[in-house]
Amino acid sequence: MSESREERSEGRQLFCRVITPEEIVYDGEVDLVIARIADGEIGVLVNHAPLVSSVETGEVRIKEGEEEHVYATSDGFFKVSENLVQVLVEEAVAPGDINIDEAETRIEEAERELSELADQDEEERGPKERELERRRRMGENLVRVARRYGEG
Amino acid sequence: MATLRDLKRQIGSVKNIAKVTEALQTVSAVKFRKAEARVKKARPYADNIEEMMRDVASKASSKSPLLVGREVKTVAVASITADRGLAGGFNAQILRRTIRFREEQNAELKQVASGRKSVSFFKFRGIELEEVFTGVSDSPTYEKARELGQALTKLFEEEEADEVYLIFNRFESALTQKPVVKRLIPVAPEEDENDDENHEEDSGSYMEYVPDAETVLKRLVPRYVETMAWQAMLESAAGEHGARMTAMKSATDNANDLAKNLTLQMNKARQAQITSEISEIAAGAEALSAG
Repeated sequence: MSESREERSEGRQLFCRVITPEEIVYDGEVDLVIARIADGEIGVLVNHAPLVSSVETGEVRIKEGEEEHVYATSDGFFKVSENLVQVLVEEAVAPGDINIDEAETRIEEAERELSELADQDEEERGPKERELERRRRMGENLVRVARRYGEG
Repeated sequence: MATLRDLKRQIGSVKNIAKVTEALQTVSAVKFRKAEARVKKARPYADNIEEMMRDVASKASSKSPLLVGREVKTVAVASITADRGLAGGFNAQILRRTIRFREEQNAELKQVASGRKSVSFFKFRGIELEEVFTGVSDSPTYEKARELGQALTKLFEEEEADEVYLIFNRFESALTQKPVVKRLIPVAPEEDENDDENHEEDSGSYMEYVPDAETVLKRLVPRYVETMAWQAMLESAAGEHGARMTAMKSATDNANDLAKNLTLQMNKARQAQITSEISEIAAGAEALSAG
């Protein structure tokens, strides 16, 4: 175990951290980080130029040797600096930890509340609507990621 | 002088109080440890958002009011206290600091309250509240922090407030919580505060913003405000449990001391009673034998 670890870490110095307001979800040495930022999909390898952008609701994929870690993420921010990739999102859930039923309830609730908002006037509903749409998007994202990567 | 029976009753009730405060102390200790762990785990996110905010702010060329501010006519201040008392000076020091802050401003004021204690305080003082957030001081949720953050950003965006401040207890240890005043909007660093911090000038490195610093800034500011509110709520929660634990410990100690003193008094009173009974009996016996 320790041997292969040393072997693998040779010549590699890219690190990645996925951080939510509650905790650090992922922290480790990696080969490649793939995420969707403001202007499209980006893959970050070692020695990438420093960069700050936002990430869209979707997934972040982290490749480490043969392993791939996937997280369903809400929107947030993305920063590359000195071979450290930091993904700052409100939520980051591994496919195995996604509860599809819960995610579906979330979508339903957001949709119900959205339809209730429909008869309010524009000014009142603006920010609320955006928030609910975000919630629905994240719910759909969770379901999608769970279906694609989740076991069984 | 108190009679034996009174003293006995008093001792009983003091001991009951000690039991209650000790239980509260134990509960607070458990909650404190949890809250402290939460603060620590949440720090990387808040630190990064804050750092990013600082970097972007220094790069963005805009004269956006979110960054550089505008003429200050109205100041909004959000005070974060606990929902419950029995925490020593925890709530009072925030409210005192808020009152002082309000007196220092040369502008119209808008007050936002988080925590039942601040809500009732401001209502009692007849200070109108713009927004009220209660029910989560014990164990904050990000959801609530977002609501608070959004409410504050909205006040600024709709030009109802030209500056937005947050007053909360910064958690230092179970024994100390320091009330801090933090300006959230405009986000440019306050000069006087920066003297002692001396951030290395973002190492002069080149940073690319996608699509550009302005756009990132626009998205970042609301998130930054939310995050600061979240961090403040978490710190306040840890501080609250720490303060309550400390307050309840000294209450328990005091009650135990009091019980000890009362027991001493009771023993004295009992001895006095016995002495007088004996002397009465002795006197009676003497009177009998004399007769």
